[in-house]
Amino acid sequence: MSSGSVTEAALLEQLSALADGEVDPADTAVACARWRDDGRVRASWHAYHLIGDVLRSEDLAIEPSRDVAFLAAVRDRLSKEAVVLAPVPKAERGFRDAGEARPNDAGARTGRRWPWVVSSAVAAGFVGVVGTFTLTRPSAPVPAEAQALASAGSPTLVASRTDTAPTAVAASTPAPARSLALDVSGVVRDPALDTYLAAHKQFAGSTALGVPSAFLRSATVRNYGR
Amino acid sequence: MTSADADAALIERVKLGDVKAFEMLVVKYQRRIERLIGRMVRDVDLVPDIAQETFIRAYRAIPQFRGESAFYTWLYRIAVNTAKKALMELKRDPLITETARASRDDDDETSRVENELSDGETPDAVLASKQIAAAVNLAIEALSDELRQAITLREIEGLSYEEIAEMMDCPIGTVRSRIFRAREAIAQRLRPLLGTRLDERW
Repeated sequence: MSSGSVTEAALLEQLSALADGEVDPADTAVACARWRDDGRVRASWHAYHLIGDVLRSEDLAIEPSRDVAFLAAVRDRLSKEAVVLAPVPKAERGFRDAGEARPNDAGARTGRRWPWVVSSAVAAGFVGVVGTFTLTRPSAPVPAEAQALASAGSPTLVASRTDTAPTAVAASTPAPARSLALDVSGVVRDPALDTYLAAHKQFAGSTALGVPSAFLRSATVRNYGR
Repeated sequence: MTSADADAALIERVKLGDVKAFEMLVVKYQRRIERLIGRMVRDVDLVPDIAQETFIRAYRAIPQFRGESAFYTWLYRIAVNTAKKALMELKRDPLITETARASRDDDDETSRVENELSDGETPDAVLASKQIAAAVNLAIEALSDELRQAITLREIEGLSYEEIAEMMDCPIGTVRSRIFRAREAIAQRLRPLLGTRLDERW
């Protein structure tokens, strides 16, 4: 026993309690450290969980060599992953105003609820879009830049967000931030665009929990403080 | 089923950068995840790959896991979505994986159908499974009443140590010790089946 005072039986009892989530963080750290060094600890941890699985359902009585091979494969892939380091900053609720939205938080929130949809995007530092804004060909005075972009025909950027389904739909390449700093109330609405938006809002809710659909896009908006 | 926060301590370790804690979670849940995926994907050769992918995705996303649901519930959803995605990719490109390619080697329809109908387990594996289940059941019967009750309340009823202590009218430390001794007694009976060199292989 290299780590001193703890006897093997005491260590394994701790491991058994950890399997049930009944140990404090310090003991967890000890058990994890021993897992790294001690084949017997690993074999016991496996045996305890196998026993639990078999007691609940006999079709989980799987030959251990398969489990060993499975862990080896996962371990091999984990070694190629970046090491996870949390804690994640707490996301504030209710930052719906586009002006307050912080792109990184938006990305984190999206990932928290649908990590399989956006996990890679989050990992790559992608950001989501918060707020609802429409940008269309203006007939009222708007900043010159936005007007130029609108007349270029490309930037129809739509982002919708509800409490339950933060989803960004980008109809084209994201527009630069400055053009997006439009107050929603100041936008002239285009009936055709409204129809388009209404149609796509339906998808925003329905696909969020399913497989990523063709309608789901990560949109990047760079409006850091401008 | 374990209680919602049974994995909280290990997840905290993972979030601190301890990959080994994640390996412990893999060992805990790999059988359930493989069985789940096996029910969704008929090509048994694909099951381990999809299960591995599930755990890798979970690892990447774990900073976003906030413990609002049980870890297994969260993992379950990732597994379902990973399997769905794999099935869609398979439809688009049936030769997408090595395993799919391998299973098409004798590419006449009969062998294909047989392949799909089999549950993919060799007779040896089926036998080993039965032996393990039988050994666990025998070992449970051989336990003293106290140990059997403790492990049953924990593993089958999913009660916490505190609840078990209340039911068995004993201190929590005693519950902890009884559950441990029950597990060790069962593990002793399993060891011949788990292989003599298993400690080294793990």
